[in-house]
Amino acid sequence: MQQPFWRRFVRNRPAAFGLAFLAFVVVLALGAPLLFPGDPFRIVDMTFLPPFGAYLFGTDSLGRDIAAGIAHGGRTSLMVGLVASIVAVSIGTLLGAVAGFYRGWIDDALMRFTEFFQTIPTFLFAIVLVAIMSPSRGSIIVAIAVISWPPIARLVRGEFMAMREREFVQAAICLGMTDLAIIFRQILPNVLSPIIVAGSLMVATAILIEAALAFLGLGDSNAMSWGFMIGAGRSFLRDAWWLCAIPGIAILLTVLSINLVGEGVNDALNPRLRTL
Amino acid sequence: MSGSTIFSRSLAAALLAAALCAAPEFALAQKRGGTLVQITQPEPPTLASYLSTSGPIGQVTAKIYDGLLEYGFDMKPQPCLAESWSVAPDGKTVSFKLRRGVKFHDGKPFTSADVQFTIMEVLKKVHPRGIGTFKEVTAVETPDAQTAIFRLANAAPYMMAALSGYESPMIPKHIYGTGDIRSHESANKPVGTGPFKFVEWRRGELVRLDRNPDYWRSGQPYLDRIVVRFIADSATRSALLEKGEAHVAGFGAVPYNDVKRLAALPGLEVTTKGYEMISPVVEITINTKRPPFDNVKVRQAVSYAVNRQFAIDSIWFGYGRLATGAISSNFKASGLYSADVRNYSVPNAVEMANKLLDEAGFPRKADGTRFEIVHDITPYGEEWQRFGEAVQQQLAQVGIKATLRYEDVATWLKRTYTDYDFFLTSNFLYNLADPVLGVHRSFHSALIKQGTVFVNGSRWSSPQTDELMNKAALEPDTAKRGAYYAELQKLTAEAAPIIWVHELLFPTILNKRYKDVIVSPLGIYGAYNRAWLDR
Repeated sequence: MQQPFWRRFVRNRPAAFGLAFLAFVVVLALGAPLLFPGDPFRIVDMTFLPPFGAYLFGTDSLGRDIAAGIAHGGRTSLMVGLVASIVAVSIGTLLGAVAGFYRGWIDDALMRFTEFFQTIPTFLFAIVLVAIMSPSRGSIIVAIAVISWPPIARLVRGEFMAMREREFVQAAICLGMTDLAIIFRQILPNVLSPIIVAGSLMVATAILIEAALAFLGLGDSNAMSWGFMIGAGRSFLRDAWWLCAIPGIAILLTVLSINLVGEGVNDALNPRLRTL
Repeated sequence: MSGSTIFSRSLAAALLAAALCAAPEFALAQKRGGTLVQITQPEPPTLASYLSTSGPIGQVTAKIYDGLLEYGFDMKPQPCLAESWSVAPDGKTVSFKLRRGVKFHDGKPFTSADVQFTIMEVLKKVHPRGIGTFKEVTAVETPDAQTAIFRLANAAPYMMAALSGYESPMIPKHIYGTGDIRSHESANKPVGTGPFKFVEWRRGELVRLDRNPDYWRSGQPYLDRIVVRFIADSATRSALLEKGEAHVAGFGAVPYNDVKRLAALPGLEVTTKGYEMISPVVEITINTKRPPFDNVKVRQAVSYAVNRQFAIDSIWFGYGRLATGAISSNFKASGLYSADVRNYSVPNAVEMANKLLDEAGFPRKADGTRFEIVHDITPYGEEWQRFGEAVQQQLAQVGIKATLRYEDVATWLKRTYTDYDFFLTSNFLYNLADPVLGVHRSFHSALIKQGTVFVNGSRWSSPQTDELMNKAALEPDTAKRGAYYAELQKLTAEAAPIIWVHELLFPTILNKRYKDVIVSPLGIYGAYNRAWLDR
C-alpha cells in the first residue's frame, strides 16, 4: 500500500524539523517589514551594544540593530537563493532535455557548451561575473544561476537519454506526437523528482554563494544580507563576537534545514525507499 | 710631559664631558646596535622612489636616500646634504652649499653634479610630483663641487618644502646617469648617501638594510640593521607587534579597531605624530556638473548632512580631527591654514540641510524623499564601506535616497576621473608639504584633466580662486600667501565642491624600547638615523 507523499515526508524526523525551521525563517523574512519597520541599515543606537540587552541581538559597528538585519537579511538570502535556483533549474532542464532527447550533434554541441562552463572554477567565475556587472541583487542572481545550471543540465540529459528508449516514449513517437509534447508531457513528468531534489539542494548552495560574495564585499550594498553582516563584522571578531556569530548561526541553520528538507523530499519520492 | 699639562688636559676633558652631558641631546645616552623591524603594508612595487610615489616605497627608501633638506615639526627646513642655502629676494635663485666629505654607499663622493642630474634629468622629468615641484626650475648650475644654484623662471616657495629624502631623493649620477631611468637595472638596488645601505629584497617577505659605517653624521646611525617586513594579513601584523617581533608600523597597517587594544599593552605606544607633511584628508568629492549638485545650495546641504564627528568616532575610532576646509590644520604653523570659513559641523546641521534643500526647490515627496542619487565608495578598504553606509543614513535623514556602489580600484578611478559618471564619492587625498603640491589639484581649472587621477574630479573652478592659487604659488612672502589661502578656503567652503570630513590621523604603533624613531613631520618616511634601541 502506498502512503501519500506528505505522510512519508513527515515520518522523516530531521526533514520535519528542517521544514519547521524553514517555515519559521520564511515567516520571519516575510514579516520583517512589520516586525522591524524601516530601513535595517538605520543607525538606532550606540555601537557595539551586546546581545540580549536593549536590542535582542545587540547593535553592530555602526549602531545598527542586528535583529532587524537578521530578519531583513533573511529576505535577501532566501529570495536570491530561490530565484537563482529557479533560473538555473529552468536553463539546465531545457538544455538537458533537448540534448538528451535529440542526441547526435545537438547533444555534442550542447554538452561541449556545458563543459565550457564546468571547466571554470565556479566561485571564481561568480566573483568575476559580479565584479563585471557591478554588484546588485540582479547581477548576483544572474551570476549564481550561470554557475549553477550545468550539473542540472547533465542530470536531466542522463534521465532523458534513459527515458528516450522506453516503450511509452516509442509509442508516443509512433502515435505522431510532436517532439515538444513528448518532451514536456511525456518524459518531463517522469524525471521531475530528481530535478526537484537537486533544485532544492541548490537553494542551499545559492544562499551560501550569496553569503560568500557579500562577505567578500561583492554583495548588493543596499540590501541587508547575512553574508554582508558577517563580512562587516569580521574585523571586530575579537571585540564583538556577536556581529559575526549571529548571522553565521542563521546561515548555518537555514542551509541545514534546506538540506534536510531536500533529503526528505528525495526519500519520499524515491520509489525504492517507499515501502521502508 | 710635565704634570701640570696632564692636569690641565684632564681638566679640560672633564669640563668638555660635563658640557656635553648638559646639552639636551645628550641627556639620554644613545646606545649602539640592535635591529629594528618595521612593518610596511602593502609591499612596495619597486624601490625607485625617484620614479614612483606609491605610498610604501618611501617607507623603505627614505633610509637609503638623503635629501638636500630635512624638516622639523615646525615644517621649517633644516640642513641635510645641503649645509646651508640662500633664496634670492625675488625667489628666482636658490643656492645650496653642499656638505663636504659625503660618500655614496659605493664609496664615490656626492657632489653638485649629482644634484644637477637628480633634479634636471630625473625628478623634473619622471617623478609624478617632481614634475610640478620643479616646474619653474630652468637650470641647476654647479660652479664647484660643493655648490648647486637653482635658477627658476618664477619664484616657487613650495619647492623648499619638497626637498626631503622621501620626496626628492638625491641619487648618484655615476649609476643612474647611464641607461633608461624609467627602467633602470639598479632601480631595485638603491645606492644613496643615507644612514642605511640596501642589502637584499626577498620578494613577498622583507627588505634588509644594514648600517652605513661611513655615514656623514659621525657616530650615526645607532641601529645595526633595519628589516622591513611585508605581511598581508592584518591580524598577523597586530600579533607581531604585540609579541615584540616587529617594532614599528604606520599608515593604517594595523586596523583602527585593533589600535586601542595595542595601545593598552605596556610595551607599545601609539602616536599620531609624523604625518604632518603628508596630511591626508578624508573627503567626499561632489560632481558639480551633474544635477542636482550643480546647485550650490544642494552641495551645502549635503555638506551639512554629513556627520563628521560620527565618522571620526565610530568609523576611524577616534583617529581623525574635524576638517574645516580645503587646507589641513597641519598648516597652522606655517600660517596657511584658516578656520574662518562656513562651519558645517553645527548642532542644527540637519535642520540647515533640510532648509537649504527646500530653498533649492527639492521639496519632500509623499514618501519623504526629495531625490535619488548613487553614492560611490572609494575602494580602499573596509572603513570606507562603513563610511558609505553611515553617509547613506545621514543623507536619508534629509530626504536624499542614496544607493551605494562599490567597485574595484580601476573602475572607480575611471568613473571618477575619466567618465565623471558619479554624484558623490568618498575619497582621500594628501595635502602634502605645501598647498601648491596637494591642494591646488582639487580646484584649479588647469587640473580639470580628464583621465588624470586624483586631480579636480568635482570639476568646480572659478576665475577668482584660480587667480588666488596662481598668486599664492608665486608669492614668497608667507603672510601674503596666508591671506590668499585664507580667501581660497573661505570661497571653496562656500562653494562646497568637496565635503571635507576629517584630517585622518594615521596611528603609528611603536615598541617602547626603540627611541627617537618618529622625529620629523615625515615620520615613517624619515631616515631613522637617530633611532636607537634601549637595552
